[in-house]
Amino acid sequence: MPVFKTAYNGYSVEFSPFVETRLAVATAQNFGIIGNGRQYVLELAPTGIVDVVSFDSADGLYDCTWSEENENLLVSASGDGSLKVWDIALHPAQNPIRSFEEHSHEVNSVDWNLVRKDCFVSGSWDDTIRLWTIDMPRSLRVFAEHSYCVYSTVWNPRHADVFLSASGDCTLRVWDVRDPHASLIIPGHNHEILSCDWNKYDDCIIVSGSVDKSIKVWDVRNPRREITMLQGHTYAVRRVKFSPHRAHLISSCSYDMTVCMWDYMAPEDALLAKYDHHTEFAVGIDMSTLVEGLLASTAWDENVFVWQDGMDPRA
Amino acid sequence: MERLRLRQQVLLDHLRPVASNFRAADIVTSICSAGDSAAYLRTTDFDDDVVVVAAFRTPICKAKRGGFKDTYPDDLLAPVLKAVIEATGVKPEEIGDIVVGSVLGPGAQRANECRMAAFFAGFPETVPIRTVNRQCSSGLQAIADVVASIKAGYYDIGIGAGLESMSSNPMAWDGSVNPKTQANQRAQDCLLPMGITSENVAERYGVSRKQQDAASVRSHKRAAAATASGKFRDEIVPVQTKLVDPKTGEEKSVIISVDDGIRQGATLADLAKLKPAFRKNGSTTAGNSSQVSDGASAVLLMRRAVALRRGIPVLGVFRSFAAVGVDPAVMGVGPAVAIPKAVKDAGLEISDIDLFEINEAFASQFTYCCKELGLDEEKVNVNGGAIALGHPLGATGARCTATLLHEMKRRGKDSRFGVVSMCIGSGMGAAAVFERGSVVDQLSIARPIKDNNYLSKDAK
Repeated sequence: MPVFKTAYNGYSVEFSPFVETRLAVATAQNFGIIGNGRQYVLELAPTGIVDVVSFDSADGLYDCTWSEENENLLVSASGDGSLKVWDIALHPAQNPIRSFEEHSHEVNSVDWNLVRKDCFVSGSWDDTIRLWTIDMPRSLRVFAEHSYCVYSTVWNPRHADVFLSASGDCTLRVWDVRDPHASLIIPGHNHEILSCDWNKYDDCIIVSGSVDKSIKVWDVRNPRREITMLQGHTYAVRRVKFSPHRAHLISSCSYDMTVCMWDYMAPEDALLAKYDHHTEFAVGIDMSTLVEGLLASTAWDENVFVWQDGMDPRA
Repeated sequence: MERLRLRQQVLLDHLRPVASNFRAADIVTSICSAGDSAAYLRTTDFDDDVVVVAAFRTPICKAKRGGFKDTYPDDLLAPVLKAVIEATGVKPEEIGDIVVGSVLGPGAQRANECRMAAFFAGFPETVPIRTVNRQCSSGLQAIADVVASIKAGYYDIGIGAGLESMSSNPMAWDGSVNPKTQANQRAQDCLLPMGITSENVAERYGVSRKQQDAASVRSHKRAAAATASGKFRDEIVPVQTKLVDPKTGEEKSVIISVDDGIRQGATLADLAKLKPAFRKNGSTTAGNSSQVSDGASAVLLMRRAVALRRGIPVLGVFRSFAAVGVDPAVMGVGPAVAIPKAVKDAGLEISDIDLFEINEAFASQFTYCCKELGLDEEKVNVNGGAIALGHPLGATGARCTATLLHEMKRRGKDSRFGVVSMCIGSGMGAAAVFERGSVVDQLSIARPIKDNNYLSKDAK
């Protein structure tokens, strides 16, 4: 399956919800520590992966998300605290069409609302979460209850107003945008939590990935303890995502440079597959909603892989 | 430059899994009263399983004549409470509740004695304690209650215990009997002496005197063998107490560390000579009934996650519990009904069970239950039962649990599931299924490697 070489170190990869062959990749120069960033939009062509358009930014880009209502819009989270909105139908020189500058530190996550489709949330190292729409110049809401970096913010796939956040303060929090305070706080791990996601088939099940190397699956109705703990990564788990096609399938990537697939309902042999095609920290993973089993990953080794689950990404 | 340093720091922290400063000490999860309505099967090992990490008992001694005839009930309970704490390194103040099964002791007084025993054992005043009485299964009920409370989220660590001093509290009826009972056969049957219910079982289900005596001999032989080979040393906590000479009134300080009811030389011929104790032409004798005894036992339970975090080896996993009602006139058949239910609740079949501890209240009911369930006698009461060891009513459930789990530990992988069961006066039966701890829990016995220099052992 095809490979794409990015100029900078990969940070995040997202399949387009509209075009099955399209994906966005956020990258940052010098491992995101200092330098520029570049937002790629890639196309899966018969000849391999080709670069449709790319946008340069003054600081590294850590995450990106596609608009759920306009197939040409995407948002990137930048190291300078800004959120850049790009329109791929316009010339790169006319981009970004918006730059929201309110976060006082690096923005680590951004996610577009799946139900109402008109807003997105961002999580930042300034410990806050902000809610935005394209049409308003200022953020609509600020959620400032985390006490350390917010690493992940994800909308509930069923409820228009509910989202989940994961933070370096070792908690997961469930929020309702109508309420400034978290509706649920789960002190999920004893170490920083870097990623979280909602199950796409059961809106009560969530997953978290932590610096403690474990992935935990939780039921928000009984948050006192996890349903199960998945162990197998040998360094911090950087990103976890539930499959859009199979209720029990979880994908994860880690600082141990691997991408893993899990079935959380089979606790004794939960680890379904372990891909070790990356040669540096694997930090971005996505599962296509339009093509079942199609996976994409990116890493600090400047490679973007797209492959069918079960196949060898390098083959 | 400041920003550069910050980014490096944040990323480095991801790679250095040192416990964070945000130890979430001030954050508690809110418990949703809707509970766990998860729509998936939860059959395997989860961190919220309730596990047994320690199980101990005192020696069991004959009431009025044995080693504990002059021992206060609180002095029996305190040593086992202390033992479960000391064996695991759990701090006494971390215990969420202590539940003590106790049958004959007067309610309020016994509750008070238990509270005092906790103080004698070194528990602070902040740790609560209560008693529970489901007759002969009280000790098992205490364990089940603690498990339920841990599952409910009331606390993470608890002690289920049992206590009976039949020297100080004989079986007796207080006051008059409600005349209404005459009109209700079942209620009337509740008043039958236990020995008569045993005769009823023998008669109704055709258990012969010879079969009963054989069960008794087997019980004594096995208990004697277990004592001789030191098997009980793992579970017995020696008790320091006093003996008073009945003639001279002289007090002697002693340490009791072995069961004193076992008759190694018991033979069929000897037992056959005994007269029926309850009915003239009956088959139940003093030799094929359980002994009247003193003793105490305790089991420390916690959530698996807590045990894992502390690195405490898991002795057993509590899988299921069932209490059922049967005809009071043949109360001894309880295990024959309770065991299938508990086993089914655990998602298992009787054939999956590798070891049974079935209380031998009477050889008649014990023999009947084994036959009815089709149990292999090599799997039942392998270290003897109440006929040899004694039956301190409230302590028996936790005593059997201790005996079962320690035997399963010795047997290792050959024995994965075990059952504790007993019949209950007034017509009930109770049973619980346990799983051997380390079968499924490799992590709990693994110790973290310290000072790993990533070289092979040979390189040192």
